[in-house]
Amino acid sequence: MSQSEMSRAKRHLETTARMKEMLPRFFMRMMERRFSNEPLAWCMVGVPPELLKAFDLLFEWPENFGTMCASRLVAPRFIEVAEGDGYSPELCSYVTNTMGYCKLFKEKGEAPEESPLPGGMGTPAMLLGSGFICEPRWKWFQSVATRFFDVPVYSTDPLAPPWDVDPTDPRIAEHYLTLLREDLAGQIEFLEKQTGKKLDIDALREIMALSHQALAYWRDTLALRRAIPSPMGSTDYFHAIIPQMYLVGDQEAVDFYREMYEEVKNRVERGVGVVEEEKYRLIWFGLPPWFNMGIFNYLESHGAVFAYESTYNVGDYFEVDLSDPLEALVRRTWQRALKMHEFGAEAMPELCNPAVFGGFVGSNLLEELTRDFSLTGAMMHLTRSCRAVSFGEVHTRNRFAQIGLPSLIFESDMADPRLWSDAQIKTRLHAFLETMDKVQKGVNK
Amino acid sequence: MPAGKKVNTKQPRATNLNEEEIRRIKTDTGKPVIGYLCCFAPPEIISAAGAIPYRITGLPGEDNSAADAYTEPYGCTYVRNILARATRGEFDFIDGLVISHSCDMVQRLYGIWTYYHPLPYSYLFNVPHQVSPWAQRFYKRELGFFKESLEQFTGRVVSPEALVEEIGISNQSRTLVRKLYEQRKKLLPGISGSEMLNLLMAGGTLPAKAFQAKLKEALLKAEAAHGQESAKPRILIWGSIMDDNALFRMVEEAGAVVVADDTCIGFRVWEKDVPQTVDPYDGLTEHYFVNFQCPRTDRGPGSKRFDYLVERAHEYKADGIIGYVISFCDPHKLDYPDLRDYLKAEGLPMLLIDDNYSFEPAGAIETRLQAFVEMIG
Repeated sequence: MSQSEMSRAKRHLETTARMKEMLPRFFMRMMERRFSNEPLAWCMVGVPPELLKAFDLLFEWPENFGTMCASRLVAPRFIEVAEGDGYSPELCSYVTNTMGYCKLFKEKGEAPEESPLPGGMGTPAMLLGSGFICEPRWKWFQSVATRFFDVPVYSTDPLAPPWDVDPTDPRIAEHYLTLLREDLAGQIEFLEKQTGKKLDIDALREIMALSHQALAYWRDTLALRRAIPSPMGSTDYFHAIIPQMYLVGDQEAVDFYREMYEEVKNRVERGVGVVEEEKYRLIWFGLPPWFNMGIFNYLESHGAVFAYESTYNVGDYFEVDLSDPLEALVRRTWQRALKMHEFGAEAMPELCNPAVFGGFVGSNLLEELTRDFSLTGAMMHLTRSCRAVSFGEVHTRNRFAQIGLPSLIFESDMADPRLWSDAQIKTRLHAFLETMDKVQKGVNK
Repeated sequence: MPAGKKVNTKQPRATNLNEEEIRRIKTDTGKPVIGYLCCFAPPEIISAAGAIPYRITGLPGEDNSAADAYTEPYGCTYVRNILARATRGEFDFIDGLVISHSCDMVQRLYGIWTYYHPLPYSYLFNVPHQVSPWAQRFYKRELGFFKESLEQFTGRVVSPEALVEEIGISNQSRTLVRKLYEQRKKLLPGISGSEMLNLLMAGGTLPAKAFQAKLKEALLKAEAAHGQESAKPRILIWGSIMDDNALFRMVEEAGAVVVADDTCIGFRVWEKDVPQTVDPYDGLTEHYFVNFQCPRTDRGPGSKRFDYLVERAHEYKADGIIGYVISFCDPHKLDYPDLRDYLKAEGLPMLLIDDNYSFEPAGAIETRLQAFVEMIG
């Protein structure tokens, strides 16, 4: 790769463009609190942000930091430092980005100057992990606390029933719900000890109510993408997940997602699409190449638009009773497990979870998505350093072959641009677009 | 790159021998064979249900291309090897499959295997990633569900008495294995590491009596050994699954002796007895979950999680540690920097062999082993 091969994304929605003002305001507020020595938690996706908010805890997401490092093209610097420390290039580039960052932080006593955020991720007072997605997450914070920051760690373990076990069997449901409840209780006990605060249940309930309002708008916005032409593309989608991570439970987040919904709805009503001539309607599988989000705009310039992305649907809206917010958190996790169970790998292939991988028998999600979103093809990004997402794409390709939908798997990475081969990848993308042309012409004959 | 010599042609592979044996045993007994990977689902329960537990192993270096139709190239080469073998029908002797949610790739193997090559019986044994009290309670409940599923398949109820008996039999094997490992503490160990690994692979395969006969024979031989050879550098091998003794033989050919191990099929399965508890499922939980030292299980931050390994290295007077990690093996690869630094602080040198489950190119690996053995010798 060379830097000139990488391009930043152009967003199409005015709402997401406004994030450029909204997020720095948030980060500035956070910085002010950090300077007051308030405890900061580094967290993984899967830790309920509503809970963090209820404890009024400062938090940072090393995974999201990895995407920022990737988009600013500084991730290779951190990754190479980690590789020099003995971490294999095969390992998750979000993890190695964190390890390199931490090593430089410890050597310098402050955030490395390459950090995309002022002050970097800050010094953690605790690490809150989650085994929600993959196995490296268990080792990630374990190693951060072993090598760099000797702080307490709590990781949750939201297991879900395997695909061939019936989750509606009350004994099975209770088996898993018991684990989820006990695990959440352990997490709260840990947070109360580390923050010195008791959990305010009423505050949590209010935060969850706002959070679910935001998620409901998000759900409705995504459904609008069924329209032809698609009113919203991947560059907006992948960036629009961020407010839910940082501003969860804030009215500001609800307003953001409502305005986004209204803008997208307005575009649908006016027939405004991402591109003038929508030739190909695609589904995206896998993590995006954060260092080269402009690739989506490049594809759009050839009339290819993504109407659906499998990744990051983890924040899906689920109907839960908020009167007992702790039980609501448990039930939300369980609802997600049931959804994964119903659709298997086809729903959320990024989760290394027994419910996910294998539940193909009887699943018809791909057929539904192809029909509902009028898809003409599927594109899968095989991220070398993230097997959690990639391992399963060949199966998905096999399933699309059954449906008769053309699909492409191409290789690179989510955060490490060294694995991006621009000419090679674009050659493959073009060949795929030509394949879809032929398929579409064949269909129209 | 010079072509490495094929280490696997030097002697029959334990996997092939064991598979021949299990086919014969299955014919003789008429019992169903339940293949399993990893030890989180206790084989004692399979035996008590009237089936034969069989630890599935791979053939390192064999062609994995049959797996390409179902999986990506960027995945654990051991898992791809097993899937390729299943695709070629090489496990046609198993009637059922039990896979634990041990690591991500093994867990995913379950979904792919059972979708594309369904078996009469299959079970995914779910395992928490930490050993908190609630995780232990979950594991124990999971044992109960596993037992029920086996009962439905074999039609035989797993009584507490039958389970206690099976645990007792496997503990007898453990006693013999420990005695053999004692022999490895001697200046000139009475049994080589490569022989020991082949024996332990048979332990996952053969009925207990046949396995114990082999152990007793090896023990007699080991106790009688009084070599005059001068002391050789002593090696402990740590890392990913080791279901072929090729690396052990390479180490031995480099002039060292393998005196101890910490790999999937090695000592960790046999090191301690399953505790005899009032409720046998408590003992199984303690043995196969709480005390089972697999890096996929989170035991909190800090280097203390490696204390058991350092203690073992000292116990067996190891001069150095050789780490063996398979491509894309996240748990071991993520542990390596922490372990390397801790061992260094403890005065134990370490060499890491990063392999794609082929031991190739053998020449390059042998050169590194020789240099390491010379360094610590």
